[in-house]
Formats: sequence, C-alpha cells, structure tokens
Amino acid sequence: MRRLLLTLAGLAVFLLALPIVGLLQRMPWTSLPELLADDVTLDALRVSLVVSLVAAVVVLVLGTPLAWALGRTDLPGRRIVRALVVLPMVLPPVVGGTALLFALGRRGLVGQWLDRWFGITLPFTLTGAIVAATFVALPFYVIAVEGALRSARRELDDLEGIAATLGAPPFTVLRRITLPRLLPAMGAGLALAWARALGEFGATITFAGNLPGRTQTLPLATFLALQSEPERAMALSLVMLVVALAVLLSMRDRWLPSR
Amino acid sequence: MNTSPGVSLAGSARIGELILDVDLVIEPGETVAVLGPNGAGKTSLLRLVVGLLTLEDGTLAIGGTMVDEPGAGTFLAPHLRRVGWVPQDRLLFPHLSVAANVGFGPGADADRVAGLLDALGLAGLADRRPDECSGGQAQRVAIARALATDPVVLLLDEPSAALDVESRHLINGVLAADTAPATLLVTHDPVEAATLADRLVILEGGAVTQAGSPTEVRSRPRTRYAASLAGLNLLEATASGTVAVTTLGTHVVLAEPADGPVHLVVPPTAVALHRSAPDGSPRNVWQATVADLQPAFERVRVVLDGPLPVVAEVTPAAVEGLGLRIGSEVWAAVKATEVACHPA
Repeated sequence: MRRLLLTLAGLAVFLLALPIVGLLQRMPWTSLPELLADDVTLDALRVSLVVSLVAAVVVLVLGTPLAWALGRTDLPGRRIVRALVVLPMVLPPVVGGTALLFALGRRGLVGQWLDRWFGITLPFTLTGAIVAATFVALPFYVIAVEGALRSARRELDDLEGIAATLGAPPFTVLRRITLPRLLPAMGAGLALAWARALGEFGATITFAGNLPGRTQTLPLATFLALQSEPERAMALSLVMLVVALAVLLSMRDRWLPSR
Repeated sequence: MNTSPGVSLAGSARIGELILDVDLVIEPGETVAVLGPNGAGKTSLLRLVVGLLTLEDGTLAIGGTMVDEPGAGTFLAPHLRRVGWVPQDRLLFPHLSVAANVGFGPGADADRVAGLLDALGLAGLADRRPDECSGGQAQRVAIARALATDPVVLLLDEPSAALDVESRHLINGVLAADTAPATLLVTHDPVEAATLADRLVILEGGAVTQAGSPTEVRSRPRTRYAASLAGLNLLEATASGTVAVTTLGTHVVLAEPADGPVHLVVPPTAVALHRSAPDGSPRNVWQATVADLQPAFERVRVVLDGPLPVVAEVTPAAVEGLGLRIGSEVWAAVKATEVACHPA
C-alpha cells in the first residue's frame, strides 16, 4: 500500500517537474540576451508589469475593504457575496473575458454609458487589460485576507479594545494594531493575486485583445511567438518562470514550511 | 448627581440574559474589589466602565466627566475616557516589545513609562516580545501599560490569578503607592479581594447583594455566597423573640431576642456532630444526612442535608470515630450562643 502511494506521489512530482526541465533543456541560452532585449519582448514585459502592478494596487484598495466586510461584519448577504468573490477563480477566464465584454464593451450594459457620458472605452485598451487582470486576481487576495480576519476576529476585537482604552483613536488602532497583525496575510494574498494577474491570458485576450505595445502581455506574446518563433516563446517563458520563482521565494515562510 | 473625582456609576445594562444593575463610587486612591461567582457580571462591569459596553439606563462619570448617560445621549468612546484596563488574559500586543506595549498610549510620556518599567521590575525586559515573558511578567507589563497613560481609574480583572510571589509583591507595591488611581478589581478569590481592597462589593446575578469593608462582609455576610467566601453558614429566617424560623420552616433557638427577617450566621466549627441525640443546655439539635465530605487542610468539611442545611467542620479523627460516610445519618447540634443573628 505504502509503495503504491509513494509511486503515485512520485508520478505527481514528475508531472510537476517535467515541463520545467523540458523548457530549460531546450532553452536557446546563446541567443537569449538578444531575444530578451528586442522590442517585442520589452514591450510585452512593460505592458505586463504595468497591467499586473496596477491591478495589484486596485486589488489592494478594493479588496481590503471587501475582505473586512466579509470577515469582520455581520452584514446580511455575506454568503452570496462570498460566492461571487470565488466565482472568477472557478470560472474559465475566457468566460470572464466574454462577460466583461458584454458588461463593459461599447454596447455593453455599463460600457455604453461609459462611452456616451465619459468617452471611456475599455475593450482593447491597456485599461481594459487592467480590468481583466483585476477581475481574475481579486479573489486570491480577498480570500487570503478574509480568512486571516475571520480566524483572528476575536483576538483583533480584544487588542483593538485595549488599544482604545489606552487612548488610541480608531485610525491609530488601525495603523498600529490591525494592519500589523494582518500584514503577513495581506502580503501573501497580494503576491498570489499579482502572480495571477501577471499570468492572465484568457480574459485579457477576449476583452483587451492582443495589440503589441498596448495590450499584449507576456503570456499573449508567448502564445503568439510559439507559432512563428519557438525560441522567443521559450525566452518569454523563462522571464515568467523567474518571476514566479521570485514570488515563491519571497513567500517561502508561508508556502514552503521548513518543518 | 454628585460626581466623584474618581468613578461614579449608577445604572443598568443588559448583557445577553443578564441585567447588570450597579451603584458604585470609587474615590481616587481607593481600591474596591467586586467579588462574585462566575457569570455574575464582573467582567461586564469592567467593560461598561471602559466603554466597550453601554449603559441602558443611568449615569457613569469618570474623573468628574460624564462619559455615559443614555438619557442625555452622552457616550464617550473608550479612547476618550481616562481608564486603564488590565483584562484577565492581559492581551499584550504580540507584535510590539515590552517597552512599546507600555508606551503604546498616545498619552504615555517617556518618563512615566521608564518609571513604571522600573517599579515593576521590567527594565531588563524592555526589548522582549510578550511571548518571551512569563505569566507574572506579562501581568506586570499589562499593569504598567494601563498605568502609563495616567488613568483616573485602573480596572483589574482577576489580577493575581496564578502569579509568582515576586510579581505579586511588585504589583501590590505599585497598587499601594500614594499615586495609585481609583482602582476597581474584580475577582472570585476572597483572599485577593481582602488583601488588596479597602471595600468589597458582592455581585450576584448582576446585582450588588452586599457592600462594605472586608471585615464587615466577613463578620456579617448577607447572602449564602458571601458567607461561603468566609467559610460561614448563612441561613435566612424570621425571628420572633428568641426563636427564628428558617425558610425551610425549622425552628432555631437564639441567645438574644430579635424580631423580623434575620440572617443567621453559624461558623462551621460550631456545628457539633454526634452518633445519637445529645442533651444539655439550650441547643439546636437535629438529625441530618451527610451529603458530602470535603477535606480542608487539617479538617474535614461535612456538608449536611436536613432541616438545617449547613456545613460542619470536624477533625478527620471525628469522621472516623463517628463512622461518617456520604449518606450516613448523624445528629447535629449548635449552641444558641454560637448562632449570630443579624437583621436582614
């Protein structure tokens, strides 16, 4: 029994490691500097960084209050909102992109008014790519922070109460007690959300298209290059692999327990 | 209403099923201990004073400032009240050092913080994290933190539960200092209450059942709970001349005549146990059943069921000599002169 389980576990490890090994083994190391330095790659990297970082900021600004509302209030309808939060995680990204198009497109539910009143067009723009990335990334952050808030709710209530009796006004309590206690969960959630935004493909290509220098992110550029220039696709993949490893290493205390 | 420069509370609050109704004044420098069984509302009383619970009716003033008066729509948030709270589980800020915990309050000045760290023997621990402190050290940090903001009232919740001797000594020293604020401590430990407090308040089921000096409460307990704190038996009765009739209808002979509702207090050592009916001077004699036997130091407390439900305290030799077991039948006797009778 033990042997069977270990065999299957080994197979799983093999399945996880094989693609990485395959990628590194075929990597065109000699032409790499050239491939990484050309305009297509740099443009995609720039778009990707702008999209994922702005999305991360939006996630932080909108996701933190949402996590608070879900984790520390007893507002009615929390269960429905929680289900809504998880939806982008389980929804195929292409469906998410299609839905965004029908909601925020030029003829969409809200999009037509954005266009008519403010002259704002989201589809096939950098802003649209940011909206798509935020849509898919938000759940990762909200779930991490809400979980931390809920499990520490009692402790936070107590510590915030004590801080108040010591004369600390609400904003000071938030800054010196609540936020420091939540920082690890916020950091982990944000890293996860940012990595998800960086890797976003389906919703982006559906809603924001694939315009080089404007909405073409690293994953889109990789997919496109694969058909004409496999070396470039590998180089782009390497960039994302390095970024992913960096995120993993920065979060190692949380995801790679030493014991 | 006349407000004290310390704390004046006269009002009620509803906490779940419990209705807390308290009338209490604590002058600066005075220590009042609230004693009560679990669930009497002791901790809720503290949360009311700090402002984490609100009054439903009445007034609460701290340092001469009205902080909670629902009738006038007044409610001051906790951070605007001059209180220092030491909760039972201390609740030190786990991400801050000992010194940062003590200096947390915006009103805590550096000299005062240093003085408190020194007075409570914490100077050497200033850079430690709370999880590196022992229970006694953590309690001292919590008290220093509460006093650092110069509160009008210090609120202590079971302050010396499981404390080491050194911590107890240091804490008592700070609480006894001339500069100590009005102090309200809640506890279920009568020894702690008697050693720290100038006045005792007995709280049962949300209501004050007795208030007075420790000596008064000990010698004249007014409820069964207050009597049990002092180890005494308390019986409610109605007296008429030298006879009192208890709530169970049992007649008790008194040494001095009295009239009306009374509390009869009987020390457990005054209850004599016999194998057969004794005779002699004016006594109260009755037949009882042993409900329980509890060892207490060198003695055994014999809990009796019967017309007078009291506890007798006898030597282990007597238990053996009388062959006492749970369920045994025994004769109990109390001299009339041993029954203290107080008007209820």
